[in-house]
Amino acid sequence: MSIRLEHIHKSFGSVEVLKDISLEFPEREFITLVGPSGCGKTTLLRILAGLETASSGAIFHGEQKVSDLAPGKRDVAMVFQSYALYPHMDVFRNIAYGLKVRGTPKEETERRVREVARVLEIEHLLERKPKQLSGGQRQRVALGRAMVRKPWLFLMDEPLSNLDAKLRVTMRGELKRFHLRLETTTVYVTHDQLEAMTMSDKIAVMDKGEVQQYATPAEVYNRPANIFVAGFIGSPPMNFLSGAAISGGELNLDCGDAKRAAIAASPLAGNESREVVLGVRPQDIAVHMAAVPHTIAAEVSLVQLLGSEKLVDFNYGLREQVTAQVKADSLLEAGQKVWIGLDPAKLHVFDPASGRNLLLEN
Amino acid sequence: MNPVALARQALAYVMLLLVTFVICFPLLWALSTSFKLPQDVMASPPTLIPREVTIANYRNLITGKEQYFHGVGKGYVPSTAAPQHFTSWFTNSVVVSLGSTLISIVISTLAAYSITRFRYWGRRIIPYFSLLGYMIPSIILVFPMFLVMAEFRLTDSLWSLTFGYVSITLPFCMWLLWAFFRGIPIELEEAAMMDGASRLRVFVDIVLPSALPGIIAAAIFSLIVSWNDYLFARVFINSIEQLPLTVGVMHFFEGVHVDWGLMMASAVLMTLPMALLFMLMQKHLVAGFGAGAVKG
Repeated sequence: MSIRLEHIHKSFGSVEVLKDISLEFPEREFITLVGPSGCGKTTLLRILAGLETASSGAIFHGEQKVSDLAPGKRDVAMVFQSYALYPHMDVFRNIAYGLKVRGTPKEETERRVREVARVLEIEHLLERKPKQLSGGQRQRVALGRAMVRKPWLFLMDEPLSNLDAKLRVTMRGELKRFHLRLETTTVYVTHDQLEAMTMSDKIAVMDKGEVQQYATPAEVYNRPANIFVAGFIGSPPMNFLSGAAISGGELNLDCGDAKRAAIAASPLAGNESREVVLGVRPQDIAVHMAAVPHTIAAEVSLVQLLGSEKLVDFNYGLREQVTAQVKADSLLEAGQKVWIGLDPAKLHVFDPASGRNLLLEN
Repeated sequence: MNPVALARQALAYVMLLLVTFVICFPLLWALSTSFKLPQDVMASPPTLIPREVTIANYRNLITGKEQYFHGVGKGYVPSTAAPQHFTSWFTNSVVVSLGSTLISIVISTLAAYSITRFRYWGRRIIPYFSLLGYMIPSIILVFPMFLVMAEFRLTDSLWSLTFGYVSITLPFCMWLLWAFFRGIPIELEEAAMMDGASRLRVFVDIVLPSALPGIIAAAIFSLIVSWNDYLFARVFINSIEQLPLTVGVMHFFEGVHVDWGLMMASAVLMTLPMALLFMLMQKHLVAGFGAGAVKG
């Protein structure tokens, strides 16, 4: 059964943190709520958990309204950012607590805890206290505590943010594998767009208490709904070039000194002339050593080696800046004069006033 | 270890021993005197190690046998009242200290939990006001309180002492536990609620065990304050059999006659329970019980 959020509003005093959120989470999918700090994603998760009550709106699990139920009655499980393991209980009792509270018979509790521990490979840790565990092990125990109850919904609040970079990558893969195995609907909160992209079936990008876009990772990346989504998803972030305009069926760019360079055919239907904000990802910029049509003159200002790639900053026009990602063996150095071309198929054009992606409206 | 480091360590130990000796000397002297024969108590020169050891002082205190002042040999006839009550004084002290501590801890634990976990008007200032109450000298509180106790006909009973001690220990215990509860991550409780536990169950299963070091610290504080109090007992209690130890022991002074042997034996017996308690509970007092619960 899918989960429906209908017109969820939440205010703390006069501060409105969630504004009319309506979403549907299909059964068995891995949904990520992603956005910057303070966008309301954790509040939305806590409302799903029942730890906060929405100012208005309702949550449905299938046809059943669950938003009036207390957290313990919803039968959902949550993995907290801080893990929140009970410090005075050993791992076994931590995992078993939810079953004990529900009055599950002792033998069954024992069997289920051992089964979960086996799946998570923490059988040898069952007698340890949380303080005797490493970060990754605590993470698994927290996961075990959520899994053992076989809930219909997993809620995860930035569960990887306290792990070091290497462990985070490992655990990311494991979480995804567990999800594929258990097939329990999961709502995952993160501020890390990479986690959102790699793990999710669907992503809800949030900002300022509103869902900016709710779509598959590929859709969010390739067809961002607006400037915010385009800038938030993707690493390194998308370049936004101001001073772009569409006229006479061409897209041209202000290159300073009243010169405008045509860089591509207009991606928009119709012949209307208008100012736009041009978005281009660093991967979609080509560097030429000589002038060719539809390129603009630029100067290399900074080169950063990432390993397999280089991140190169260029200045063009009147101190406008753009970043490109090129192969590591490209022979570019600061001060060098080059020409840069933007891949016409990968350009995004946004409305300067509203920030909307104009390509989606064609 | 090189000679300089060795010398430094030796010096440190000498200093520590010296300080410990100075601090412990009154207790050692009391211990020594309590085992001396009456004629050796005032012997000159004084000796720390008794020349002849006797347990008569302790035996007489506990059995309530009259020995008082006979040993001094001045033909003084002791008052029949005073020193036979040692065991009831001891019991009174135990009952009153445990009683007031129990009341203080139960109330302050619930109050501190409420202040840190629920939202209502005034919850931020209550802890500071409670501390303010603790800062008022007891001597200012004791007489108005005596009048209140008299009104309720509680004077000269152990209830008056119990309530009196609660009034001075409760604010501090509450403040201490408030500070402690603030340090317990709220996620622990939320996790238990998600696991299906009721608020009461969360409090019993999760909050109390996490707060145990704080509760023990508050309980020890409360026990020490009520065990050592002199003022309230002096004002509230008249009958000799209702006295706690602190005031009761005063009765070993009979005019110019003082039975130092009994006095010192009482002092040792008074100190012992608190010292033992402290030694047993010391490890629980060490905070950091909650380490490992949240991100590490």
